[in-house]
Amino acid sequence: MDPRKQQQQQQRADPRLKKCPFCLKETKYIDYKDYPTIKPFMDYFGNIMKRYYSGLCLKHQKMLKNAIERARFMGMVSYRK
Amino acid sequence: MVYEFCVLYPVNLSQKEEQTLLKGIEEIFAEAEGRQIAKDAWGRRGLAYPIKKQIEGNFIVFYYEMNPQKLREVDRQLRILPNVLRHLMVKPPKDYQMVKYSEAFEQWQKDKVTAVETKRKDEETKLQRKVVEKAKRDAKRTEVKKTEVKKKEAASTLEEADLSKKLDELISDDSIGL
Repeated sequence: MDPRKQQQQQQRADPRLKKCPFCLKETKYIDYKDYPTIKPFMDYFGNIMKRYYSGLCLKHQKMLKNAIERARFMGMVSYRK
Repeated sequence: MVYEFCVLYPVNLSQKEEQTLLKGIEEIFAEAEGRQIAKDAWGRRGLAYPIKKQIEGNFIVFYYEMNPQKLREVDRQLRILPNVLRHLMVKPPKDYQMVKYSEAFEQWQKDKVTAVETKRKDEETKLQRKVVEKAKRDAKRTEVKKTEVKKKEAASTLEEADLSKKLDELISDDSIGL
């Protein structure tokens, strides 16, 4: 194998070791009024980040989706920029 | 059961209208026999998108303990109430701790400003360090150059002296017989 390729493969972290940031804090509920916690999981256009990119567990991704949709309804975050 | 109600109303109301609106909201909860636990008025906030051509709105968050069967009536009444842009009813989880977001919001803004300032300061210090390092490097380089030049000069003078000595010797040597 090409040595450069091998090195690249070695550098990549094991996805199983990546922890959900909400799990680390033991979050039980994501508040729709809490803009700073929601914000990093949305992109410039106001879309919710996919789980592949956000790195959340399914439980917290669902909570986040709920929070963002509520916040969108109340006009705190935008649907589409 | 504890419920959380969030109400959004426009900013361009006159004081009287605002008073009647707030009174109306209180009345609705009173009719439903709710017991107020907390109230959090956020005040004027910008909206992410215009709602009924309003760019800004006032948020109020209520926490009420009430009978779950009365919720539907409250929802209906809030929908009918004039001058309410949006309202949301949420059942918070069991061990939910109320956060005063009206105060938290100011804290965020302060944090934001401080974060920006610290970032700028860091950049400045970095730049300063860079400049200092560069100056040092330059100074070192010039010093090295100077010493090199001195060495060269010394070497050249030495060589010249050697050469002149040898020449003298050669000239003074009679054995060659020029």
